[in-house]
Amino acid sequence: MPWYFYLALKQLFPTGRRFPFFTVISVVSVALGVALLIVVLGVMGGFAHQIRQTIIQTEGEIQIKARGSIGNYHDVVRRIEAVPGVAGASPYASGMLMVVYQNKPSFPLMRGLDMASIGHVVSLEKFVTAGSLDALDDDAVILSEGLADSLGVPIGANIEVYTPLMLARRDSEVILPHTVKVVGVLRFGHQELDKSTIYCTLRLAQELYGLVGDVHGINVRIQPGMKEDEVAERINTVLPPDARAFSWMDSFADFLTVLKLEKNMMTFVLLFVVLVAAFLTMSLLLVLVLKKTREIGLLGALGASRRQIALCFCLQGVGVGVVGTAAGLGLGLTVLHIRNDIVRAITRVTGGQELLARFYQFSELPEHIEVRDLVVIVTAALLLSTLAGIIPAVIAARLKPVEALRSE
Amino acid sequence: MSDAIISARGLTKTFLSGDRRIEVLRGVDLEVGAGETVAIRGESGSGKSTLLNLLAGLDTPDAGTLTWAGSADTGAKRRATYLGIVFQSFYLIPELDALQNVLMAARILKGPGATELARAKELLARVGLAERARHLPAQLSGGERQRVAVARALMNAPRLILADEPTGNLDEQTGGAIIELLLGLSAETQTTLVLVTHNAAHAANCSRQLMLHAGRFG
Repeated sequence: MPWYFYLALKQLFPTGRRFPFFTVISVVSVALGVALLIVVLGVMGGFAHQIRQTIIQTEGEIQIKARGSIGNYHDVVRRIEAVPGVAGASPYASGMLMVVYQNKPSFPLMRGLDMASIGHVVSLEKFVTAGSLDALDDDAVILSEGLADSLGVPIGANIEVYTPLMLARRDSEVILPHTVKVVGVLRFGHQELDKSTIYCTLRLAQELYGLVGDVHGINVRIQPGMKEDEVAERINTVLPPDARAFSWMDSFADFLTVLKLEKNMMTFVLLFVVLVAAFLTMSLLLVLVLKKTREIGLLGALGASRRQIALCFCLQGVGVGVVGTAAGLGLGLTVLHIRNDIVRAITRVTGGQELLARFYQFSELPEHIEVRDLVVIVTAALLLSTLAGIIPAVIAARLKPVEALRSE
Repeated sequence: MSDAIISARGLTKTFLSGDRRIEVLRGVDLEVGAGETVAIRGESGSGKSTLLNLLAGLDTPDAGTLTWAGSADTGAKRRATYLGIVFQSFYLIPELDALQNVLMAARILKGPGATELARAKELLARVGLAERARHLPAQLSGGERQRVAVARALMNAPRLILADEPTGNLDEQTGGAIIELLLGLSAETQTTLVLVTHNAAHAANCSRQLMLHAGRFG
């Protein structure tokens, strides 16, 4: 091992002694910066990942929409299912409704599902928290958890359903609501979907919206490993002229762009924390150079070259970077792992866990860290720590042995 | 080519103190042969340490020439093998134990192997610190630290040892023991010794004494 490497290690981690102040402060500051970046980017990435999962789990990776409605949809679904990369397709109808239970109204979003094919795209069963999906027929509905709670509807109760079509009828006609039975409750864990959605069969939705043999759209599940954009492009070639396939990323392009922008901005801002840590390391290394001026003179007197002396101090910056980054990685990933325990502990003290779920859409803090993010964080931390060691190293190398030995 | 271990001709050194030019050395000539022990004495400020720094190649003279065994190469790399230097303030590296401090001289030259490790242990034993090899400088007394410094100076088997007031920070008895050790080791290893000292008694033990006065040997 070259002497400058050996001495750098010994000065950072002396044998038989506790870590020196310089090492502890520098390593902790770098570690905190790295951990903070990992936690923030992990949680932000978690939001994006959770949104993706929710969209895919409830609508599939690709949504086919038309300006009006899609006619002859059985044929369209068959053509879509024949496209390479498609695992399944399921038509749907959707729109706003008014539901009334014991004179209490609500205005949920209706999703009419084709029970014969929905299983090819979405596994709704795992989200059912009460009742049963099998009981869903043309006279029954399933409510989202929030809607069921707000109306106070128990399983087995009847609710009245009004559609916008009823309002368009002539004024001499009496508007008679549709009475349906609540047979289940769904909970996706996404506040927006869980708040106010009503699920029914496609036939019932078509009837409520006057879609004779038409649907509003088709959800598509793709085969694992396939790329959404490429499959969507292929599907577009078999669709009727006024229908178009959108990948989930296209459908939520604005939202995803905002998320990405936020993430990039947070990375940029939080990198300043690492930069501050690097400045701290640099200032402590400068103090070390001052403190060790005579030793630097001695090394020169023993025959060390200026380049070697510079390397000795630069390597201490690298050492701080390596240990600090490794500690930060460990700390950051650990915090991410126990993030929900931490949130629960905080909200137990401060209250407001429900508020957290209401405003941030998810009942638990999501987490998803990408390898690319980790590479960026690690590279930035190592680079800044190395740069922090360069200025003190240059100052140390420029000291003349005779002047260094003479210094007080 | 000269037979001298070290040869200096007309060494001159001037320092600036504000607007004043202080001529510390005024054409010093010195030649030291193999195996000689030379004591350089002088009052404080007479230029002893400046001369020693020039002889060690740590500083450059304003005028004059310096050769080591006839060669003008007095650079860092050659210094590592040709010279051993003992300073008044020991200058041990606080993070390294006594053994590693001695080995540092070899590390800078090349990666130390089993031979160098054995030599460092042997030198520590020779200066009476075999039992203290794993002690850090902070755990050693002043005299022990200087003995480690002496062992370090001998680590690369130099042909010349330059000692700059090695007893300056030690009490009379310990200082005497260090001088005795230095002289004994230089005789034993046939190493030339140039000793800068205030102490007339220590200088008297050397084979030659030189008095530096007002920048010249008088």
